[in-house]
Amino acid sequence: MFARRRFAVLKNLLEYIGLEPGRLHFSWISSAEAEKFQRTAQEVVEAVRKLGPAKRLIKDIRKVA
Amino acid sequence: MDFEAVTQKIREIAKRLLSEGQVDAVLGYREGTVPMRERPFFAYTPEEAEQLVWTPFCCNNLANFLIRKPKGEIGKWGIVAQGCVTRNLVGLIQENQLKREELFIIGVPSPGMVDRRKVLDKFPGKTISQVLVEGEELVIKGPGLDERLDMKTVKRDNCYTCIQRNPVIVDEMACDKAENDSMGGDIDKMAAPWESLDPDQRWQAFYDNFKDCIRCYACRDACPLCYCHVCFVDESQPQWCGKTQDFADVATFHLLRAFHCAGRCTDCGACESACPVGIKMRRLTSKIEKDIRQMYGYRPGLEIEATPPMSVYKPNDPEDFIK
Amino acid sequence: MADKILAKDKLPEFLAQLEKEHRVYAPQLQGDDYRWAPLEQAGDVVWDFSNTRLSPKEFFFPQTECMMRFVNDPADPEGMIMKPEEPLDEKRVLMNIRPCDAKAFGVLDLIFCQDDYTDDPYWRDKREKTLLVALACNDPCPQCFCTSVGCGPHSEAGSDLLLVDLGDKLLVKVTSERGAAFAEGLEEAGEDDQKKAAELKKAAEDKLAQNLTVGTDKIAQKEVLELFDDPMWDRVWESCLNCGTCTFCCPTCHCFDIQDETQGKEGRRVRNWDWCMHWLFTRHGSGHNPRGTSKERVRQRFMHKFKYIPLKRGGEIGCVGCGRCVVLCPVNIDVREVVNQMNA
Repeated sequence: MFARRRFAVLKNLLEYIGLEPGRLHFSWISSAEAEKFQRTAQEVVEAVRKLGPAKRLIKDIRKVA
Repeated sequence: MDFEAVTQKIREIAKRLLSEGQVDAVLGYREGTVPMRERPFFAYTPEEAEQLVWTPFCCNNLANFLIRKPKGEIGKWGIVAQGCVTRNLVGLIQENQLKREELFIIGVPSPGMVDRRKVLDKFPGKTISQVLVEGEELVIKGPGLDERLDMKTVKRDNCYTCIQRNPVIVDEMACDKAENDSMGGDIDKMAAPWESLDPDQRWQAFYDNFKDCIRCYACRDACPLCYCHVCFVDESQPQWCGKTQDFADVATFHLLRAFHCAGRCTDCGACESACPVGIKMRRLTSKIEKDIRQMYGYRPGLEIEATPPMSVYKPNDPEDFIK
Repeated sequence: MADKILAKDKLPEFLAQLEKEHRVYAPQLQGDDYRWAPLEQAGDVVWDFSNTRLSPKEFFFPQTECMMRFVNDPADPEGMIMKPEEPLDEKRVLMNIRPCDAKAFGVLDLIFCQDDYTDDPYWRDKREKTLLVALACNDPCPQCFCTSVGCGPHSEAGSDLLLVDLGDKLLVKVTSERGAAFAEGLEEAGEDDQKKAAELKKAAEDKLAQNLTVGTDKIAQKEVLELFDDPMWDRVWESCLNCGTCTFCCPTCHCFDIQDETQGKEGRRVRNWDWCMHWLFTRHGSGHNPRGTSKERVRQRFMHKFKYIPLKRGGEIGCVGCGRCVVLCPVNIDVREVVNQMNA
């Protein structure tokens, strides 16, 4: 429950600095909700895939000098 | 504000406290060696207290020095504090870093501090050798330079939207309280300026704002909230944040530091004043402050008994972003 | 070689000659500060700035520098081999570098390239590929104290050419063999020009004498422990934030931290600027920290620059008096005051 406040603030902050909406997802899933977990994972992967490779806040040491 | 009169009163109070043994040291400011910057100063004797000053160039946050506990032998501190600094003292008491009994707060209403960069900006490329305060004006002198500026036009960003000029907790005032706690600026209008931009523009604004960062950590080290024994950027097992100048590393530092100040930051502006390259990191903290105020109705540092927002939850906290 | 003259309106030709083999960089106004940037055209050269906010040491000692790369895979034919990064692919000119910054790199040469075992190839490569065309200071700023630390507004140490601004023309002093090649085609300076340059130099030195000056003679005579144990340090450290501002803006500070970063099987060894004010700087893997208190670290920085470096580098002081730390320190700890206390 404490996490809820932290996540609310964090999501707003990350989207405020330009993280594309649709990159960051939150869901309440208990360990007994296997079906929901599978479904949510698929939905998130689809949503993120549509946005293309992440470029913001990514560090690739092979590319940097 | 009559800075000369406040200076004299601070000296008088400090000398009294020290000679009577009421405090072990008084933490205030003394005159700096460069224009527009006074320096934090620890006065241990009445003679040293003679050096204390109060000017519109007092741009550090003195509460920061109490958490470093430079001398374990100090039992009681006197501290010259304006509104935002006392809010930080309240915050530190809430977080059990200080005890109220350890402090003798010499209160001053904040006049709004001058942002030296705004003054320098008015005279690009020129050398400023001296800045004097005359009433509500600054007199700026240098080779080929003798100008006046209305102080109101060159204050720090955070001072324009100050909501608490007067000290929240105080033991003795060095002058009369200001009539208004608020400086008059509209914080909702000024805070979070990137909200009106689309994600691509936001990212560009974020990048432009922080690309000059040299990871000196002056912002962190000037901040009274940053007292962790081992800051997250200094952790190595695991290393949360890279030490390189790659923008992802720089961004991680600033984003996470702002986040760690959520619900605690009083917008004192010491971070922006300390930064050697003029980065406006308050773009992040002002957004967080606005969210905390609008979502949880909390303003940090106004009451010692209040419960900080990140250490509680309410059943009806906003959660429309969670599926 | 004798002193030469370069008329300012002949600057484009001079720069064109340099640009045949070099990329030219110069201080330019960006926002409210001067910064080092590639020079696009001769008209962008500025003659009346004080100095850049940060020193140009990044040209030789980047804040983040990849030293070598590796693949952490014994099965890979290229694996388990440390491959050094490519050397610098361009030759450069730092145009209008101030004499203090030029001298600073000479001081750092003594540290980065000491002997057969201590010879930093990354530093050396960049130094050998960079020409320094210094611009003498005719109008020192209030925080400078170069004359107190063995440097000066018209100092010739460390540069390849030294330009003195005489108004519509520049006196060109050849201050190294490399510089001579670029001054060959220029006219020789006349006696009047030399005289004017000498007057400008004297005027600048007189102006510096009015600034807060710094004494270092007694420091050289005192024993290390005498300075080390002096009670003055009990007060100097109090307001220090232990940030890296002074270290990072300083042209002679040179400490770094080496780390390996990995991503999957690939990795690189990178060095980043480090700062001795930081508690992590001397922390051992065991957890012991020989400079665990702020007082010890603050004392260390001044002792290193003003006592240990002169002791180990034949009297060279580890400071060139550029004044940047005085201007930028968030709590206004003034090196000039501290050194004067050391010199008391």
